[in-house]
Amino acid sequence: MSIGGSQLDTSWFLLLGAVLFTLGAIGVLVRRNPLVILICIELMLNAVNLTLITFSRQLQNPEGQLFALMVMTVAAAEAVVGLAILVEIFRVRDAEDIDDLSELKG
Amino acid sequence: MGLAVFLAAAALAVAGGIGVIAFHEPIRSVLSLVVVMIALSILFLLLSAQFVFVVQIIVYAGAVMVLFLFVVALLGPARELGRGRLRFQGWLSGLFALVFLVLIWAMLQGVQYRLPEKADLHVFGTVQWIAVELFTKYLYPFELTSLLLLVAAIGAIYLSKRSIDDL
Repeated sequence: MSIGGSQLDTSWFLLLGAVLFTLGAIGVLVRRNPLVILICIELMLNAVNLTLITFSRQLQNPEGQLFALMVMTVAAAEAVVGLAILVEIFRVRDAEDIDDLSELKG
Repeated sequence: MGLAVFLAAAALAVAGGIGVIAFHEPIRSVLSLVVVMIALSILFLLLSAQFVFVVQIIVYAGAVMVLFLFVVALLGPARELGRGRLRFQGWLSGLFALVFLVLIWAMLQGVQYRLPEKADLHVFGTVQWIAVELFTKYLYPFELTSLLLLVAAIGAIYLSKRSIDDL
């Protein structure tokens, strides 16, 4: 794919998207602050957006970009509801560690 | 030129991504994520997605990140002290990351991309081009996202009120 006058391979963009997604997934698995886990989910959604737009460019197809816009909408909704739940939890109790919130387990 | 821009933006994005998971204060994680989003918006511009570039800056790096910053300010600095109960998670997630990256790498090795058709870059990625698709072919999903945003807004209001009289 020729972008900006020089040869840029599509797979480089895809690989960057994979690296960012993996970083976000590691964050979700390793970090224990619930707020940071939400931030890492945003990072993963952004990585997926990069992949969608890369394929949109490769296939000259608007659907990738449209779906990226939908992902942004879902991410905004997820952030709003997730943060509201988080603030509510912090109001009731001090939950700096996500492992403390395990009363609902069977 | 394009290659240099790509390498700079990619390095910035990866550095920001490492910052998100490495910093102990949540506020630094949020600011690292802003760096990632700005770097990704540069990459969107490189991929001739002008409209998504603008939306990424305004909606994501602007609105959503300010929301996160507000919550960080509200909850105060919550540091992760000591080690968690599930110590094996670190090793397992490292293993997961390695396997995932190797899988993606192996998948990308064998792929032959067909050459993109000759794009009219005066049209590709512009607001008109997006809008025509969005308001004709994809009108129904577009309307459904408005419903999703309405549900999210009502849910956030419901969760953050103290009692029914506060409304």
